[in-house]
Amino acid sequence: MVYRQEIIRITDRYNQLLPLGQEVCRIVEESGIQEGIVHIITKHTTTGITVNECLECLEDDILNALGKMFPEDGDYYHARFLDSYGAMAGNPTGHLKAMVTGNNACFPVAQGRPLLGSAQEVYLAEFDGPQERTVTVTVIGE
Amino acid sequence: MVIDAHVHAGFVKKGEISSGELKFRQEVMGLYKTDQIEIGMWRKMMEFGGIDRVFLLPLDVTASRGGCVGTNEEVWELMQDHPDMFIGFASVDPARTDVMDVLEKAFCEQGLYGLYLHPALQNFRPSDEIMESIYMFCEEHNKPVIFHTGVAMEPGTRLSQGHPLEYEETAARHPKLRICLSQFGWPWVREVCTLMLKYRNIYTDTAMLYFDNPKEFYAQALGTDIGPKWIDRSLRHQVMFGSSEPRLEQLRMLRAVREMDMRESTREMILGKNALDFLNGGI
Repeated sequence: MVYRQEIIRITDRYNQLLPLGQEVCRIVEESGIQEGIVHIITKHTTTGITVNECLECLEDDILNALGKMFPEDGDYYHARFLDSYGAMAGNPTGHLKAMVTGNNACFPVAQGRPLLGSAQEVYLAEFDGPQERTVTVTVIGE
Repeated sequence: MVIDAHVHAGFVKKGEISSGELKFRQEVMGLYKTDQIEIGMWRKMMEFGGIDRVFLLPLDVTASRGGCVGTNEEVWELMQDHPDMFIGFASVDPARTDVMDVLEKAFCEQGLYGLYLHPALQNFRPSDEIMESIYMFCEEHNKPVIFHTGVAMEPGTRLSQGHPLEYEETAARHPKLRICLSQFGWPWVREVCTLMLKYRNIYTDTAMLYFDNPKEFYAQALGTDIGPKWIDRSLRHQVMFGSSEPRLEQLRMLRAVREMDMRESTREMILGKNALDFLNGGI
């Protein structure tokens, strides 16, 4: 059986980590699937899905470290007019940060719940906000 | 108060529009992948950027292209529903047969704050005789006019239609008409500076970003192509912050203006006070 739902969030900062774990658990429970896997993937290229401990100090450290890796005033090719969009490309740092976090995560499902470690939180990582963002959660199993 | 004096109304969501209508707007503007943005999202972006109001600019191209990229009615309704966000402008295609009726309704019934015109898309020259009655009507009703000047990326437009010197005659003939030559007339920024120096009824906005990132582009256009102190010393009352959202990069452009080397009092003027003056003192 395959069960799918979308999570839609409006982010409110330029760079931000939003916990999604509770919603992922809810979707797994609603699916009725007892044994299988749950897959979480963002639909965007300037957001990521990442797993880490839900502590404000770590959230801050993660965003700061990514900010140092890809400074806003860096020399990026993706800072030019895009003919196919008819608009400016202005978000190279978002694309590069998303590359580092990756865009998806996968967990086993056992006894109707995702097998998350006690310190693990699933985050939607916003790197070009504020924007409306969509994450697809797919539960596969029986 | 921070005001973005250049936002395109056709991409602010006011109810549902058909996919055909959206495609028309995308194609006229050359914004091929741009969707409409929900009001809630606009509010979030404005809150995040510390933007208090935006000038909402519709575009009437009924005679030249067969439709509108945002109508006066949409803008009026958005302004009614969200007076804390939007300062609505009108637009009229000068080739319409009912130009004066449209303007009468926009200014006298709908209370729109000014007029937005795009010569390259609406296919007119600013000094055309047909424009005189429009300018006189705006002057009589104390309504400012924003012209799209400088480069136009919309399909079918020509660069020559955006040259700022085309506006000298209008500025000279109508000294009481407040005119904004938008996007600094880029790449003709020196010409816009010269016009602003000579004609104090001419304003401009910062809605230009066609190479590099905003900080680099502004450093080139406003720090090298013109003297780095020209705005701060001589033109500080005539420059407004504008972003041309959704074509350009509103939040990053705002950040770049906030980081520019200038007097804080000048920055306050650019970010909001000059827009209020352009509207003749209030909203």
